[in-house]
Formats: sequence, structure tokens, C-alpha cells
Amino acid sequence: MENKFNRYSYKIDVQPSGSREKTVDNSAKIQFNKRNWDTKYDIIINRSAMQFVDIGGTLMIRHRLNKVTSLEGFVYLVPAVSIFLFFIVGPALFVLGISFFHYNILNSVSSRFTGLANYHQVFTTEAFWRSLLNTLYFIIGTVPTGTFFALFIALVLMNKFTGRGIVRVGVFAPYVTPVVATSIIWIWILNPQFGLANGILHAFRLPEVGWLQSPRWAMVGVVLYTLWHGVGFNVVIFMAGLSSISAELREAARIDGANRWQEFQKVIWPLLSPTTVFILIITTITSVQAFTQFYTMTQGGPINATTTTSYLLYQQAFLFFHTSYAAALAVILFLIIIGLTLVQTQVVRTNTGN
Amino acid sequence: MANDIRPESRGTSTNLSIFFKGHLKGQGWFRIFLGWFLLLMFIFPFYWVIVTSLNGSSQVMQYPPTFLPHWQWINYLRAWSEAPWVTYFANTIFIASTTTLLALATSLLAGFSLGVLQFKTRNLWFAAILSLLMIPQTVLLIPDYILMRDIGWLNTYWVQIVPWGASVFGIFLLRQYMLSLPRELIEAAELDGASRMKFLARVAMPMVKPALVVIGLYVFIGSWDSFLWPFIMTQSPSVQPIEVGLASFLGTNGYDWTGLSAAVVFTTLPVMLLFLVAQRQFLEGAHAFGSGLKG
Repeated sequence: MENKFNRYSYKIDVQPSGSREKTVDNSAKIQFNKRNWDTKYDIIINRSAMQFVDIGGTLMIRHRLNKVTSLEGFVYLVPAVSIFLFFIVGPALFVLGISFFHYNILNSVSSRFTGLANYHQVFTTEAFWRSLLNTLYFIIGTVPTGTFFALFIALVLMNKFTGRGIVRVGVFAPYVTPVVATSIIWIWILNPQFGLANGILHAFRLPEVGWLQSPRWAMVGVVLYTLWHGVGFNVVIFMAGLSSISAELREAARIDGANRWQEFQKVIWPLLSPTTVFILIITTITSVQAFTQFYTMTQGGPINATTTTSYLLYQQAFLFFHTSYAAALAVILFLIIIGLTLVQTQVVRTNTGN
Repeated sequence: MANDIRPESRGTSTNLSIFFKGHLKGQGWFRIFLGWFLLLMFIFPFYWVIVTSLNGSSQVMQYPPTFLPHWQWINYLRAWSEAPWVTYFANTIFIASTTTLLALATSLLAGFSLGVLQFKTRNLWFAAILSLLMIPQTVLLIPDYILMRDIGWLNTYWVQIVPWGASVFGIFLLRQYMLSLPRELIEAAELDGASRMKFLARVAMPMVKPALVVIGLYVFIGSWDSFLWPFIMTQSPSVQPIEVGLASFLGTNGYDWTGLSAAVVFTTLPVMLLFLVAQRQFLEGAHAFGSGLKG
């Protein structure tokens, strides 16, 4: 017992539970009688928390491994947080700054502060409003539809049937594939002359459409691809949410005479709302910033029919070098995402009464 | 079939199912049909690109389309010879592996801090890190481009690795796992007088290995699949990854549908193989992310 303790020759602050603080040094410890060690003592040595514990009559010193100061806790966060600060938070503030300047990308010293001029320019160009409509169209096509399909597929897959595991893997598979590669597959599927999509329409005696080459159908084509690519992830998230709803609750509803629809409406849907909110938010953020499939499938065309705000931002910043204008666009895009996120959270909360 | 009884219909409601046996059986078949129809819808495009990549140009231009391959392996040779694919592959593997290692290290430390250590500001930090998900990548393109230019990272490997070396998803998942470490484990380490780093390396890390595998897979695939970032930040094929290479190939050889399809197949094959080998971990990762939402 003495040996354990003598390893530490620090001055120690002993705080017996309840009594007032007193300072003892190493030698003072010997004077404690057995009775004193019955309770645990939290002591502080060199600012790190330790504890005396009496284990089978042997006195042990226990480091409090998980009790740390805020500074010590932060030390472990430094690598991740510095990457985030340097490449995400800092740049986000920087782009906000740029949006108030006439920014000279080649010589930043000669930039002029212009206040809200960039925003004024954005709001008065028709291209921006057009892109906003396209973004909205794309969001409506992917977010509510995607969430609905994901929930539907998840409900189907929650039931046991032959080959359920394979179906689940198959539905998820597109999600892990690169957008460049798989959107190329869909360009071909949506080809107006030789594509599979029109082949299917033809087989059902439906009128064939121009898909990516028609201003009217191009967005539908991109939406179809995006749904195919992304829905699998949401299916698995929904399945996680569904499996956390207790079977007893559902059974109770069933015993009370609820049919499957009522069980869904009164039990599953309200309890699923955190998952639903999460999926809506994540899908919205992904959709607002969708770029790659637009780049490969339509390049924003035909006649700007698929130029979303993200695509416009890319064009303005990296093709036309209108840095300040694009910076203002970026800030607006960010505000749109925040706005949509808040609205969706509210809507789902009111609908489910949470 | 034993399959048509739903898992939740055991217990009290099983009695009812006797009355509706026929009904349930019908649903079972409907479910199987629906499930397999879904599977077909989701994996058919993969089959389709393989068929296209093995067809001659005359079969491709055939209408109605042909559903069987004609084994024109020449398409693969042609596509392979028309772009520096070996460089693209090597770049991608190098970038994706280093990004993964870096992200694992940073997530492990951060997850340990937010999941095991107890300090006043830890929930604040966690909320701050999660809120980063709200900042879309497109918003950051301009300032990051300027930043990378000013530190001389444009057109390098650095720009493709370091900014992606920390993962919000990774930190989230590891925090969840660390939170669920049994208290006794920490207490035992305390009694042994283990330091925090020793505890992390010897005790916590082996326990959270499944999470590390999941995060590693997601970061690796995410890096492999990324396009917009390397597309903006790099110009020369010598440092560019495979997806940027494939997009350039689409630009130059877009008219050659069979060759393009072949390129799609051989560039996506590694990703697909990795997914098929580790599909359980991929699904578990998404599942853990989904179930951790309320925690």
C-alpha cells in the first residue's frame, strides 16, 4: 500500500467528501488511518483528476482517465478541427467577404468594397431566377419523391421474403458508384433514338420523348438518374429508423384493431419523424449542390433548361471568372439550404405533432 | 412458405393469421414479386452498360435495342489504349488510400475526445462539427480555389488529400461507438495507470474496429468517386484521379458509345468489387448512421 503511494512525491490536495479542502504532502498520507480510506477521495495532482480507491484493503491511486479539462479535451480535436477550420469554416467566411467586394482574383489588393452590389446584380439577372426555378424543380423531383420511394422500398424490405438480402444490396449498390460513370450509363439509356427509356415507352404505346435533348424532359432525365443513384442510402436509413420502432407498440396498435394503414399513420409515421427529417435535410443539401450529373448529362442545357444555381455558380466562377458574382451566388445558395432545412423541420414537426 | 409470416406477427396476432392465411400467402408472393422487380430496376443499368460495352456499333444503333452481348472485347482494348488509365488508377488509389488513413486518424482522436473524455465543452464541439454538414461543397469552391492557389497546392496530390482528411461522418460514428464502450473498461485502464493515448491505442481502438472499417470504406469510396473537387483543383492527367479522367474521356470519345461503356465498366469495376466484398459493412455503416440519429 505504501509502495503504490510513494511513487508520487507531489504535493496533493485531498478533498474528503463533504469536509473542507486541506493540503497534505506525501508523508502526510501515512497519517491517515484505515477508517479514512473507506470513502473515495478525489484528489488533483498536477491538474489531472485521480482517485484513491480502497480495493480489498489495498490502497490504489486511480487516474480519472475520462475526466479532463476543456483544453485537454480539445487537444484530441485539433487535427480534425484544424482541417475543418482551414478548408471549410475559414473559406465559408472568406466567400462571404468576397461577396461584398468587387474581387480581383489576380490581384486581391486591388479589390474594391462594393457593399451589396453583387447581390443586386444577382437578383436583377434573369439567369439567376431561371436557375432558381430549375433548382426548385430538381429539388421537388428528388426530395419528396426520393423520400417517398425510399420509405416505400424500406417498408417492403422490412418484410421477410426470399432474396430480401440480395434486393437490399442491389438497391444500395448505385449509391456507392461514381456519379461520372453511372450518369454516362443513363445518358445512353435516355438516348432518344436508341435508348432503353424510349424503348420501354414504345412498348407501352406511350409517346417517346427527347429526354436530355429536349428542354422539357432533360430535367426529368437527370431527376430519374439522381433518384436511381441516391435512393438506396435513404432506404437503409429508413430501415434503421423502422427497426428502432418497437414491435410491441405496433402489435398493440394491431390488437386495438388498427389496420396496416392506421398502424402506419398512427404509430410508424410519427415515431419515424426524426429519420424523415434527417433524410429530407440530407437529400435537400445533396440536391441543392448536385453538380456532376448535370456536368456529364446536360452541361446545363438544352437552352439552360438544367442550369441549376450550383451549375450557374460553376459557370460564373470557373468559365467566365465572375468571382464576386459567383461568391454572392454561393452565399445565397447557403441561405437557401438553411431556409429549406428549417422549413422542413417545422413542417414535419407540425404534421407529426412532435 | 415460412416467409409469408411477418416477423412482428408472432405472438398474439399469430392467432389471427390463421384466419387470414390465404390473404397473407397472397401478400407473400406479391412481396417477392415487388422485391425482385425493385432489384431489377436498380441493377439493370449495370447489366445494360456491360451489354453495350460488348456490342459492336451496329448492335448499339439497333432499334428496338438488343439485350444480349455480342462479345466485342475489342472495345475494351480500344478504350484502354486511348487514355492514360494506368496513371489515373495509380493516382486514385494513392489519393484514396492516404485520404482514408488521414481521416481514420483524425476521426479516431476526435471520436475519442467526444465519446470517452468528459469535459464542459464537448457537446458544444460535437454540435459545431455536425453543423458543418450544412455547408455545401459548391459554396466553398471559390474561396478554396483561391486558398489553394495562394498556398501553391493547385494541381497537386495535396489538394486532393488534406482537405478531405477529416470526416464529419467518421467523427459521428466513432463518437457513437466510443460512447457505448463499457465503463468497466475505462475503470480497468485507470487502475492499471494507463495513459489516455495508451488506452486509445490498446483498448478503445480494437473495440471500435468495426466502425473504423466502415469509415475507412466510406472515405475510400467517397474519395474514389469524387469529381467536382479534383476537376476544379487539378489540370494535368499526371495528378488527376480516375473520375476526372473518365469525364475527359467522355468529352473526347463521347461519340464512341461502345468504347465509352467499356471505360465505364473497367473504371467502376474496382468500386463494385469492393462494395460486393464489403457490402455488409457498407449497409451497417448507413444503418448505424440512421440509428444514431436520436442518440
